[in-house]
Amino acid sequence: MTCTLGEVKQRADFIVYWGGNPAECHPRHFTKYTIMQKSKFLPRGRKDRTMVMVDIRETKSAKAANIFLQVKPGKDFELITILRALIKDQQVGDEQIAETGLTREALDDLVQRMKSCKFGCFFFGMGLSMTRGKHMNSAALLTLAAEMNAFTKFVAMPMRGHGNVTGADVIMRWQTGYPFGITFNRGYPRYNPGEFSTVDVLVRGDCDAAFIIGADPGATMPQPAINHLKRIPTICLDPHVTHTSKLARVHITTAAQGISAPGTAYRMDEIPMPLKPALKSPYPTDEEVVRRINEAIAQKPFWLPEGSQPQMISTQV
Amino acid sequence: MLRITGGKIYDPANGIDGQVKDLCVDDTGTIVSSVDGGRTIDASGMIIFPGGVDVHTHVAGGAINFARAMTPEDHRRTQAFIRTQSRRSGLGGMAPTTFATGYLYAGMGFTTVNEAAVPVLSARHTHEELADIPIVDKATLTLMANNEIMLDQMEAGEYERAKNVVAWYIWAAKSYGVKAVNPGGVAAWKWGSDAKQLTDPIDGYNSLTPGKIVTMLATICDDLGLPHPMHLHCNNLGAPGNISTTIDTLKHLEGHRAHIAHSQYHAYGGDDWDTMCSATVQLAEYFNTHPNITTDAGAVLFGDTVTITADGPWQHLLYKLTGRKWGNLDVENETGCGIVPYTYRPSNLVNAVQWASGLELMLLIRNPWQVFLSTDHPNGGCFWRYPEIIQLLMCADFRSECIKTLPDRIKSKITLPEIDREYTLYEVATSMSAGPARALGLTRKGNLGIGCDADIVIYEEEDDVARMFSHPRYVIKGGEVVIEDGDIRETPEGREFLVKPSCAPETDEFMRPLFEDCYTMSFENYPVEFERIENPNMQECVNASEK
Ligand SMILES: [Zn+2]
Repeated sequence: MTCTLGEVKQRADFIVYWGGNPAECHPRHFTKYTIMQKSKFLPRGRKDRTMVMVDIRETKSAKAANIFLQVKPGKDFELITILRALIKDQQVGDEQIAETGLTREALDDLVQRMKSCKFGCFFFGMGLSMTRGKHMNSAALLTLAAEMNAFTKFVAMPMRGHGNVTGADVIMRWQTGYPFGITFNRGYPRYNPGEFSTVDVLVRGDCDAAFIIGADPGATMPQPAINHLKRIPTICLDPHVTHTSKLARVHITTAAQGISAPGTAYRMDEIPMPLKPALKSPYPTDEEVVRRINEAIAQKPFWLPEGSQPQMISTQV
Repeated sequence: MLRITGGKIYDPANGIDGQVKDLCVDDTGTIVSSVDGGRTIDASGMIIFPGGVDVHTHVAGGAINFARAMTPEDHRRTQAFIRTQSRRSGLGGMAPTTFATGYLYAGMGFTTVNEAAVPVLSARHTHEELADIPIVDKATLTLMANNEIMLDQMEAGEYERAKNVVAWYIWAAKSYGVKAVNPGGVAAWKWGSDAKQLTDPIDGYNSLTPGKIVTMLATICDDLGLPHPMHLHCNNLGAPGNISTTIDTLKHLEGHRAHIAHSQYHAYGGDDWDTMCSATVQLAEYFNTHPNITTDAGAVLFGDTVTITADGPWQHLLYKLTGRKWGNLDVENETGCGIVPYTYRPSNLVNAVQWASGLELMLLIRNPWQVFLSTDHPNGGCFWRYPEIIQLLMCADFRSECIKTLPDRIKSKITLPEIDREYTLYEVATSMSAGPARALGLTRKGNLGIGCDADIVIYEEEDDVARMFSHPRYVIKGGEVVIEDGDIRETPEGREFLVKPSCAPETDEFMRPLFEDCYTMSFENYPVEFERIENPNMQECVNASEK
């Protein structure tokens, strides 16, 4: 249950940021797409919109909000569940509400505002999707938004990380059916985030080579993962010198995406934007490097004898 | 070069009904009268069809990709394609991955597909996905009926401007034609209501009604000379009693060409879910007396699927009925779309009516050049289950067996038990290939005549119709043998069909401020670059005055 940023810009008169800090993490988000925008339907812009911030601490974004709700750490799921009950006029006990760190008055007021808006939108950030019960939290919020449609128009949208994370996610989905955490070790895509995610594979020492594009795991991953990257042949494609490029066996300098390399970036609402380079780079693009590596690999004999594997299996093992 | 000898040919475009004849294919993948040398396939005793053409499916773009994200459980229990040196890996199931989509379509003898709903803003994404669907040729339709810029021109009575806006979008999105969904209804849904009556002004407008949008858009498609007429998804999809809306809509199309999408979902009588019944007799009668319109069945098959449609109101209704996961994706300024996993059950009276209605339409519309095989994939069932529908159309006995498994109360609600028509092979070839190709205006498809594309399917004749149609012996795409004895042999890239309708040069300057007001994308960034289309194939528009 989601929409594009343009819809929010045009129509959303009630915006809830849940567990994100857009003022600092997505600086252009407020001004370009959401609360600051004037539109045909909301001619007074910020004055026509109500903004609510739900977070465990008072960030810079919270100061920009009309209402700030400070939820106790790890209690997002409980809070969403309570809201799902309250919108349907179901009974909720005082202790349950107290557990979330909020008051009944604050929640009743929130529910009343949610129901009386014309177009509501939840943005949920890393704070919500990366804490305890991550999938559960975002699923619960999507359900709450779906249920709100019995009263008014309501949507929910994740605020994703930097770079072209969304693009990678979108393409992996159309090619393999899954967004990340995928293994091809049986010849077809399988998915298990806690097992096949890059960090898990590295920490266990399961892979014997690494090929890294547009990321710097050497700066962000736990030490055992970094140690394994140092042990195995690691190839890194990056326009800059990074932690990863320093530990890599091979660093190929590539043209910077969007500055000197063309391509497509997917916005966090999955709308594709063309990248039109302003400068020419002496370096090859990531795409060109990968294509040339692929061509070189295609020259080598296939790693399995022809016909040794079925083309298709009707039941996965 | 290729010669196919001794097969029984079913080529409705040329009136060939089972005659034994040789087919020759030259090096460019075109059917010719004779060749010298090359491979010969002995097709004695076998049946030859032109490659299948799917006039209405959803295989690429934001919505189906969202459906993939919502159904990881299904991916795990479905068939898997294993990577080889020449073939990519992938998964089948309710929303197959891109590479698998190409293999599965080709595997059952389909060589052309029409992606029927591309929101303007995500056209670039759709084309990137289509480039990853191998073997089959592709066309796309741009969603137009709820485009606010166009609607504003219609409201103002600026017909020429509205026409230029449509032409501009078709080329900007690099598409092949126009899809209209729930005219006026999706725009209203954005505020949580829906447009039900064709003659009531839609929300936010003074005089513009869904009926006016339908007539004007059909006129625009005709005037622009698009090879495929307006492709229309009528208002009130899936609602009991919607037959009156559908017939009303059709009346707004008198004198125009049009293709009505998935009619099964628009052919219900009754007042509510309890009294809902099939109204296909009435709808079929309309088609039988109006050769200007074509349709596809949008048939339903029992089992699991995931429903995705640009019809937000209908999805919300489904969600209320099932309480299942609901995904709604509104695309700014154009249209919305929703996603719900769904199971059609024979024991569910509503589902049973839907199942029967799809078959009834295919059997009651007498001319197979007017009604085509489709499930509105994945909405009514997955495309790779088409052979099951062919079996239901060809075998009246099998049909009665299936009807016996439905609840008793179904009898008063459907007509299917009284129909004894059985499709002939010639009629099947018309409905799955020649007919949809003609409706799409693809003159080299669905046709085994000299000069046409050598997209050819060869079946081993057998009594089990469903088996025969799901396992062709050979599939030839553009002259290349892509499937042989159940193996994928070659995976050539498919082409994409595009049109460039004429558009007044000042349209750019007119659109710019409106566009930037509506969308969060700059005007320059919007149009999909021609170079981004893999293997583009331009098709001609024929202007009305030249006809
Ligand atoms: Zn459809």
